[in-house]
Amino acid sequence: MIKDTLYRYLLPAFIVLAIGVLAWWLIYNPVKTFKSSVPGMDERKTGAVAVQKVNIGETFTFFKTCDDIPGTRLPRFRGTDFDNVSKENTRLIDSWGKQGPKILWKIPLGEGHAAPAVYDGRVYLLDYNETKKQDLLRCFSLATGEELWQRGYTVRLKRNHGLSRTIPAVTDKYVVTIGPRCQVMCADRLKGDLLWGLDLATEYSTEVPFWYTGQCPLVDNDTAIIATGGKSLMIAVDCKTGKKVWETPNPQNWKMSHSSVMPMVFKAKKMYVYCAVGGMCGISAQGSDQGKLLWSTSVFSPSVIAPSPVILDNGLIYMTAGYGAGGVVIQIKESGGGFTAELKEKYKPNEGLASEQQTPVYYNGYIFGILPKDAGGLREQFACYKASDTRKPLMISGKTTRFGLGPYILADNKFFILNDDGEMTIAKYSTSTFQVLDKAKILDGQDSWGPIAITGGYLLMRDSKTMVCIDVRAK
Amino acid sequence: MQNRREFLNLLCRGTILTGLAATTGLLVYRSAQSGNCQLGSSCANCGKSGKCNLPQALLYKETVWQLDPTKCIQCGRCAENCVMTPSAVKVTHVYAMCGYCDLCGGYLKPDTKNISTAAENQLCPTSAIKRKFVEEPFYQYTIDEPLCIGCAKCVKGCGAFGNGSLQLQVRHDRCVNCNECAIARNCPADAFKRVPASKPYLLQGIEAKNEEKG
Repeated sequence: MIKDTLYRYLLPAFIVLAIGVLAWWLIYNPVKTFKSSVPGMDERKTGAVAVQKVNIGETFTFFKTCDDIPGTRLPRFRGTDFDNVSKENTRLIDSWGKQGPKILWKIPLGEGHAAPAVYDGRVYLLDYNETKKQDLLRCFSLATGEELWQRGYTVRLKRNHGLSRTIPAVTDKYVVTIGPRCQVMCADRLKGDLLWGLDLATEYSTEVPFWYTGQCPLVDNDTAIIATGGKSLMIAVDCKTGKKVWETPNPQNWKMSHSSVMPMVFKAKKMYVYCAVGGMCGISAQGSDQGKLLWSTSVFSPSVIAPSPVILDNGLIYMTAGYGAGGVVIQIKESGGGFTAELKEKYKPNEGLASEQQTPVYYNGYIFGILPKDAGGLREQFACYKASDTRKPLMISGKTTRFGLGPYILADNKFFILNDDGEMTIAKYSTSTFQVLDKAKILDGQDSWGPIAITGGYLLMRDSKTMVCIDVRAK
Repeated sequence: MQNRREFLNLLCRGTILTGLAATTGLLVYRSAQSGNCQLGSSCANCGKSGKCNLPQALLYKETVWQLDPTKCIQCGRCAENCVMTPSAVKVTHVYAMCGYCDLCGGYLKPDTKNISTAAENQLCPTSAIKRKFVEEPFYQYTIDEPLCIGCAKCVKGCGAFGNGSLQLQVRHDRCVNCNECAIARNCPADAFKRVPASKPYLLQGIEAKNEEKG
């Protein structure tokens, strides 16, 4: 009786149930609510970005004139010798003294990291005025901080980790600037008269880098050297006429980075070294082949590059970048008049000398720099490496003495090191021990990233909104 | 009339009962003084926690666990050690500190060539950070909290390459507020601490400053 009931009712019910469960198991999709992460989900706008017509150098305001201070020169990014080392004989202070830093003048600036160049008593800075919405090349008296003149043009910018971030290149006759949106302007050094302007975005299809242009112009023999990216890789423009002297093709479509062009001489051949987004290259700077690509390599091609190439001895180039890129050493070789680049060293930021923003200082066979935040235990420490071994630090500032993304300069055998928050440290030059001579909080702002200028005993520094001039002459 | 045997029995029972009562009273008194709960369970699971006046119960009612972002080393243990699955520790976005960058170190893997929302470019293993175009060149990043497992990869990336606007926090709508937090016990940076329940978050930056002022 029970057996019959079992066979008649329960077994079929069990079979139906089993089939139902199997069907459900086959049909059920536990990830049906999942969405694939594919490009375009951020609704990024594609196509050409509307380009604003910019009338470069359209505005000019004259205020006054000032006396020269001959010999006070830091005429471009990284100084006369492109090394960020002051070789002047002026004795500088070892400490800030009981009264603290002797601030000669202080002026408010537009938000940014643009730093000054100095030439014979005049300070040149490419500022951005948010109220007027203008890039302004401002000229100040080094002694008093009084503004002498300003030349500018209207260009719309939005705050993006600061607005301005380049240093003018100044010669006896000319001042050349590159603005945040890649407008190049050349003006007379003393009077501020406009000589010419060049909009790289419209003329060369240059893609404005993330957080705006960081490349500082180079003027060599009255010729402006600009790494454009876009239609050309690099161009040379006559400062007097604004006419193009030469142009290097860009078949690989490398893009403009925040890095600046550095000159190098190897085997009696002068060349311009540049690290673009895409790769590194050397371009002839002399002779009949000016503008010719001598060598190139893509062994180091991060998506963001702020530091500039550090030219070492014997054809070696040290290059670094942030965002996990680490560092590389490139060996340039010459054979039969041709040049090649070979990778000699490559490592992650926690394996050797690296830098996110500032370009390390090469001096007497040693390289000094502040390690990035992803450098493990050495993060944000000031360190020294032998140029022949950029993996093993010879000196570190220690885990209690960390800096940020701020600048540093070597002058009178002392390093002046600025942290993010406006505190300046004076440290004795040494390759073995880090010895702090003194430090002082000078600015109250943040993001003190603009390079420091020291000349004639004047020290110029800035945070995101203020520039100060300090008397650092020793008594 | 009791005989001698009954009298001795009664005396012994009385002595034993008196001793037991005295011992129990002493234990209860000592436990109240030392603050040790004899129930041996977490306040979170105890029905008496609302009425209990033991010090640990008072602490439980008045404070909660929180993670100090200034001490956090982004080791990833918050994702693994919490008694909740997924972890009650989630990433929080301090918008006032964010740069709204296209190239975001908290969203994209380091050295990503192609900046897009493709899965292979994203740092987050669960795609818990959403990115939306605002206006050229700004992008907004929001957290899909149910997807976040508290692994801190984005926090590490944001801190290393950005403003540090992504910060881990114990989310109190999920945290069961254990007496002994399993993550705190395993935190190598000693970043966990009890904070007042009235101010349960420890965000850094502008929002934190505003909170202090307010």
